[in-house]
Amino acid sequence: MKSAADRGEARSGLLFVAPFLLVFLVLLIYPLLSGMWLSLHKADLFGGSQFIGLENYVRLFRDAEFLKSVRNTCYFVVLTVPALTVIGLGLALALNTGSRWSAFLRALFFSSSILSVTIVTLIWRMVLVPDGGLIADVLARFGIAPIAFLSNARLALPAIAITTIWWCIGLPMMLFLAALQQVPKELYEAAVLDNAGFLRILTHITLPSIRRTAIVVVVIEVILQFQLFGQAQIMTLGGPDNASLPIVLFAYQVGFQRWDIGYAAAASEVLFCMILAAAMIQMYVARGRRGAFS
Amino acid sequence: MRRRWPPALLLAFAALAMTAPMIWTVLLSLKPNGELLKSTQTAFAPPYTLENYADILGHSAVFGWLLNSSIVSLAVTFGVLALSSLAGYGFARLNFPGRNALFVLVLFGLAVPEQSVIIARHQLFSAWHLHNSYAGLILPGLSAPFGVFLMTQYFRAIPKELEEAAWLDGASRFKTFARILLPLSLPAQATLGIFTFLSIWNDYWWPLISATNSDRYTLTVGIASSQMNFAQTNGLGFLMAQAVFASLPILAVYLLFQRYLIAGVARAASR
Amino acid sequence: MTVRRLLAAVALLLAGCARHDNGQVQITLQRFFGACEAQYGSSTDVAAAEGECGIITTLINKFNAENPGIHVKTNVVYWPGYDQLSAALAAGEPPDLVTMHQSVISDYSQRHLILPLEAGLAAEGITPGQFTAAAREGVVRQGHIYALPFDNWAPLWHVNLNLFKKAGMLKDGAPLMPHSPEELLSQARAFTKATGKPYLIQSQVNESSAYARNLFTFLMQQNADFFKDPKRINLETPEARRVLELFKELYAENLTTKDQDYTAATSAFLNGGGGVYLVGTWMIGTYDQAARDPNSPLYGGYAVYPYPQLYPGRDVTYADGHSWAVPNARRSAQRQRAIFRLLRFLKDNDFEWSRTGHLPAIQAVVDDTKWQSLPHRRDLAKLDHIAEPLPVGVQRQFLIQQIISQEMQSAITGQKTIDTALGDAERRVNDLLFNLL
Repeated sequence: MKSAADRGEARSGLLFVAPFLLVFLVLLIYPLLSGMWLSLHKADLFGGSQFIGLENYVRLFRDAEFLKSVRNTCYFVVLTVPALTVIGLGLALALNTGSRWSAFLRALFFSSSILSVTIVTLIWRMVLVPDGGLIADVLARFGIAPIAFLSNARLALPAIAITTIWWCIGLPMMLFLAALQQVPKELYEAAVLDNAGFLRILTHITLPSIRRTAIVVVVIEVILQFQLFGQAQIMTLGGPDNASLPIVLFAYQVGFQRWDIGYAAAASEVLFCMILAAAMIQMYVARGRRGAFS
Repeated sequence: MRRRWPPALLLAFAALAMTAPMIWTVLLSLKPNGELLKSTQTAFAPPYTLENYADILGHSAVFGWLLNSSIVSLAVTFGVLALSSLAGYGFARLNFPGRNALFVLVLFGLAVPEQSVIIARHQLFSAWHLHNSYAGLILPGLSAPFGVFLMTQYFRAIPKELEEAAWLDGASRFKTFARILLPLSLPAQATLGIFTFLSIWNDYWWPLISATNSDRYTLTVGIASSQMNFAQTNGLGFLMAQAVFASLPILAVYLLFQRYLIAGVARAASR
Repeated sequence: MTVRRLLAAVALLLAGCARHDNGQVQITLQRFFGACEAQYGSSTDVAAAEGECGIITTLINKFNAENPGIHVKTNVVYWPGYDQLSAALAAGEPPDLVTMHQSVISDYSQRHLILPLEAGLAAEGITPGQFTAAAREGVVRQGHIYALPFDNWAPLWHVNLNLFKKAGMLKDGAPLMPHSPEELLSQARAFTKATGKPYLIQSQVNESSAYARNLFTFLMQQNADFFKDPKRINLETPEARRVLELFKELYAENLTTKDQDYTAATSAFLNGGGGVYLVGTWMIGTYDQAARDPNSPLYGGYAVYPYPQLYPGRDVTYADGHSWAVPNARRSAQRQRAIFRLLRFLKDNDFEWSRTGHLPAIQAVVDDTKWQSLPHRRDLAKLDHIAEPLPVGVQRQFLIQQIISQEMQSAITGQKTIDTALGDAERRVNDLLFNLL
């Protein structure tokens, strides 16, 4: 039998969560479901739609451009996430001291993360372009011909990856730093007493202690980098010949240039499934090794 | 603890890689447009000039963009802090029907990328005539579940004894929440606040398709609109100055709140 | 108590921000052409302005100054701005006037996303008879005028005469022009050998139209009817192959600049980086100004001509034009009047706009000696009858140009074989047109 206190608590509880839930359900869950429903239609941006079932999805998997965008996106994630994790960890290890230099460098390495994507693209275009870019100017000093990063099919996506790593390195570094600072000092002191070398300390104490953070970093970055959009749209327009076209830009172009929003919605749903799968696989791997995660 | 020394060379290289593009941008902004049109190599050497910055003060639309970005980012930040704190407390401390199911739903929301909802959201806001408005730019940001997740975890970790005292004294749930738990959660709020602020400040796709009126351009959209046309050649110095100028406020905010950021990240990482 | 006061203050503030009504009618204009507020700010001196951005900025400023009851707010979007327009239309909050290429009008007029203007224009004394033939064809659909034509333009052969002189390819002040693909190649080789610079300057990176314009021009010159059916393109033809082979050869032999985007190519020509720049009418004003500057590599050495006829079919060049369209939305009568007042102003200033280099859309301007005596216009006189757009029934022309340009880039840079590229381009364009709603 529910007591009055319980009912009071239930009512309070609902009141506390209601404001957020209202916004959440209306502006996230409803559009998600609506988008899924939309993906089952042949729909025009300006109204008019016709139910066609899974035809959009069938069309997607036969669409060479879409498949290329999927490959590009996966390639991009492979290029950026390991680099962000390793470099982030490396920087955190290097800067985990109390010195003033460390504090200054920590602030420096995080400063790029606060810039907006369109400022980052502006900065990096002027680094990468062969006509007047920083790299081209420096190479010219040595008499070397400029490299056309953004117009080369093989270099475009890696160039965007480097831009992105430069942009996003702050967060992984900070997360690792915080985790490193949590490692009990006694563990290190014991290792020193045992005359353990740097590498041994790293692999036997440091890395296992920050395992959970490493997983968080990887999951966060995978989810983030799957959503590549601004850098590709502004720096290369997805080119040359769609060599740097990510899924999100494909969906944007289909939706707002071809006005085929049913098809665009289908592409976004596929992306959603990919992100969900990637996140769940990682959670599963993480949970599998040790006990419950959170 | 034996001092671990960083491979100083690698660190120096990393620092150079980090700062070189920024320094280059500043150098370009200090050169007259005409000179840069002939060759950007002139940026390596003086004389430098502040004329591009003077032009910004006179003519640039960047002020409007900064204002819009600030308004939207601040509003979303305070909104998220309020909603997430309330909901976090509700999920962490109070028992109500469907609590676990709803929390799982919120967690599920964490994996939903913006792209899967943006088109449907655009249609929704079209029906409500909310485009080209501050409301249209602010509301979507409030639906992000990350804050609720963070605050719930945070509140769960606070020992119950702290509230029991107030509860025994007959305080209402809300008073308990406001007087005791909220102040205790300030560090988490600081972190959440800063992350939210930064992510809304950098938001690109939504403002691009919702705020099509230049009055409501946020900084990201404004800077994008001035790229990719001929002004980039004969106005390169000005363009770079605009980028530098636009970055200053956020850099200032960052320098001021750095401490909370690091402390907050530490807390988040240890959960 | 204080909370309530705070809320009241906020409410007042928001209400105040809503619409400041000091009797002014506000209309919103969306355009590309770049942002140049650093140079032109609030200047109203149209005659002193140069270039597309300068002239349109000063024109709007002048209109605002001369019409205190109307305020035109300008949204500058990056070219071509159709993404934003679509988003704004979908949101139900489109601008009041928007720059629209004539080749794109059908896409919007068919869906009634832009309004027919003949009534409003007639009230301001503007009739289709006043337009040039090309302009009229560009904006009339099914008997209705869907936009006010502003100009017509074509891609052109911009020549650096100083470099041609150095290469010994100048005769009586006129540059040697090719009359066949073979001649083009041999002249290009001679030029590059003599000057050490590439013969052609081209925008080839992030480029969604220049390639297509070249292809269309040279296909038309060979009388290849690639859009016999406006819903199907036919590109797997020997004519298309010939054009791609030509450009591929130019690229392979380094007779053209490489890896330049539009901005880089445009300034490369200004800096004397090559002999011929393939770009449109809109650069004439800027380059002509440089040609009068003793410090410029173009000093005294700039000329511009229509594309040469390289194939024995007919003398023709691809063309398009700019126009002002009015998106479909509910507006007060006051705002409607203001919009047409602005359209009238733009039409009256078509001459000023044509100083950019674009061809006027108003016949009276073309007939006026004032325009004819603008530099280089005599050399372009024949554009009058050789400039031709794609057939009116072809939809989504900008997307088609994008697809074709992507595939051409792959073929020319050697990443795909010409046949694969043409096949892919044909398949993608037809797929696009087939799936149109």
